[in-house]
Amino acid sequence: MSASDPAGAAAGAPAVAIEQLRKSYGPITALDGASISVDTGEIFGLVGPNGAGKTTLIKAICGILKPDSGSVSVLGLDAARERHAVRRRLGYMPQTPALYEDLSPRENLVFFGRGFRTSGLSDRIRDVLEFVELWERRDDPLHNFSGGMKQRASLACALLRDPELLILDEPTAGVDPTLKQNFWRRFRELKERGRTIFVTTNMMDEALHCDRVAVIRAGSVLITETPEAIRARGRTRVTLGLRDGSLREQEVLAYEEEMPRLLAAYGLSDEVARISVRRPSLEDVVLGMIAGDAGAGEKPAHGGAHGGAHGGRTTGAHPGAGADAEDGGNV
Amino acid sequence: MFSNINAIAVRINRQFLRDRRFLGLSLIVPVLLMLLLKYVLDSLPGLARLGVHISDYAILVAAYLVHFLAYVLSTIVLVRDRKDGTLGRMFVYGYRRREIVLGYVGGYSTIAAVQTALVLILTKYLFDINLAPDLIAVVLTMLALAVVSVGLGVFISNFARNEGQVFPFIPLVIVPTALLSGIAIPIDELPRVLQWCSYLIPLRYAVSVLDGVLNQHRSFFSELGPFLTLVAVGAGLLATASLTLRERE
Ligand SMILES: Nc1ncnc2c1ncn2[C@@H]1O[C@H](COP(=O)(O)OP(=O)(O)OP(=O)(O)O)[C@@H](O)[C@H]1O
Ligand SMILES: [Mg+2]
Repeated sequence: MSASDPAGAAAGAPAVAIEQLRKSYGPITALDGASISVDTGEIFGLVGPNGAGKTTLIKAICGILKPDSGSVSVLGLDAARERHAVRRRLGYMPQTPALYEDLSPRENLVFFGRGFRTSGLSDRIRDVLEFVELWERRDDPLHNFSGGMKQRASLACALLRDPELLILDEPTAGVDPTLKQNFWRRFRELKERGRTIFVTTNMMDEALHCDRVAVIRAGSVLITETPEAIRARGRTRVTLGLRDGSLREQEVLAYEEEMPRLLAAYGLSDEVARISVRRPSLEDVVLGMIAGDAGAGEKPAHGGAHGGAHGGRTTGAHPGAGADAEDGGNV
Repeated sequence: MFSNINAIAVRINRQFLRDRRFLGLSLIVPVLLMLLLKYVLDSLPGLARLGVHISDYAILVAAYLVHFLAYVLSTIVLVRDRKDGTLGRMFVYGYRRREIVLGYVGGYSTIAAVQTALVLILTKYLFDINLAPDLIAVVLTMLALAVVSVGLGVFISNFARNEGQVFPFIPLVIVPTALLSGIAIPIDELPRVLQWCSYLIPLRYAVSVLDGVLNQHRSFFSELGPFLTLVAVGAGLLATASLTLRERE
């Protein structure tokens, strides 16, 4: 981690600090006491189902939402009172492309780059359009573009000023896998350069790229942790196949620590013919949290129930292999 | 501030030029309506016998058309901006409320000016009105009216969430304007209560200037009262529009 201070960020102060944020639209409660703290220089992921309040939270950070109560501080400034100062320092990508369809990507970027008088605008435009692979089509009106291409133009717009804080609302929705990988590589690079990235997603493979992840459901944040720590909250299902053909199943919480004890209890005798271990994926655990009202750990059945969906394959052989195979390889 | 206002005005005009159908319609519609007016009025010979000069009305109707079109167009475009999230993006990317309102006025004034020019040329040839001596008065009044229309549009756009919701607001403004501004019925022939109401209709002041200058052959100077009132109404509407333009939902 290159935690070299980005210019202007107060040492130790969170890049975004949200406390007890509430917002209702008539009878609908969009945010119900959400609290979040994003450290400077990290990639922070906000995951949650449709309607959980992710976009509403992002609007509060950008100062285009009037919360009913609670506080939002961004880069040490009040997101409402000092919104103009805050906006100077952030890049915002809304969930819908929010660009002018009659204009080309270049014209859109010129327009949105002028608001804050971006210096070296034409060079910056070229840089970001090349990155999202739209430089060739820079002068085509946006209404000729596919959904994913508009999304890319919108990301280019957010990157335009190379801001110290990037607020991205589902940046990779509708973007093809190759380009998605490039996006995440770029986010990593930006992080290496000290930028802070706040990103929402409902794709768990993306959450694995984040340093920390907050799970939001029905307007409140259930947990904020590293993806690995969240995953560790799920129960691992261990199945021992005995020589006589019978199976012993058990679910353990802290897999790395529990496994040796479990094996000691059974004794690694000739009785045991095979051991299979199924660690829940991050998705399993998060879905469990969203479905249940407590942590996924409380509901052993859940890890198994979602098993078929994703990464839920049963690994034979010795226990270590199962863990390695499904570790997702992040952090 | 000025550079941002200019950026918005340029962007609006660029979008406008790009959207061929929209461009075509907003130029052809006023022309068609003027032709229709001419045809209808010409086919009513009774009017002349009553001492009504058709040509007296042409410019007033033209003013009404410019007012109406600028009002409706700016409302719809601003509502669309809000719905698409481009308005929110403008705010986050450094545009301030007053810059946005003035930028829209700038953008629309260009369009309204083109419409006005077109309609004026048409009235001159269709109705044989000699505008030359009063051209400055006519152009200034039309421009002030365009500002009023856009200010009104921006203000009204606060009350609609999508383009469809704009529609109820169209008759709300245009019907009273048609009846109470003095184009259809002279204001002093209205009942007292409605005469009072007519002070709330911005077009009334424009009609008063145009009628005074063109039909009563008074000088622009003697019509300064209603003209300045029109300008003040425009300034007031712009101030209201930029104070009420919702930045935070
Ligand atoms: N302008 C609005 N008017 C009324 N209700 C709204 C508005 N915006 C959001 N909501 C409601 O607030 C809740 C949270 O919406 P939000 O857009 O924040 O969800 P989200 O987590 O971003 O969902 P998604 O994954 O679908 O983008 C939803 O129930 C939604 O219906
Ligand atoms: Mg959303």
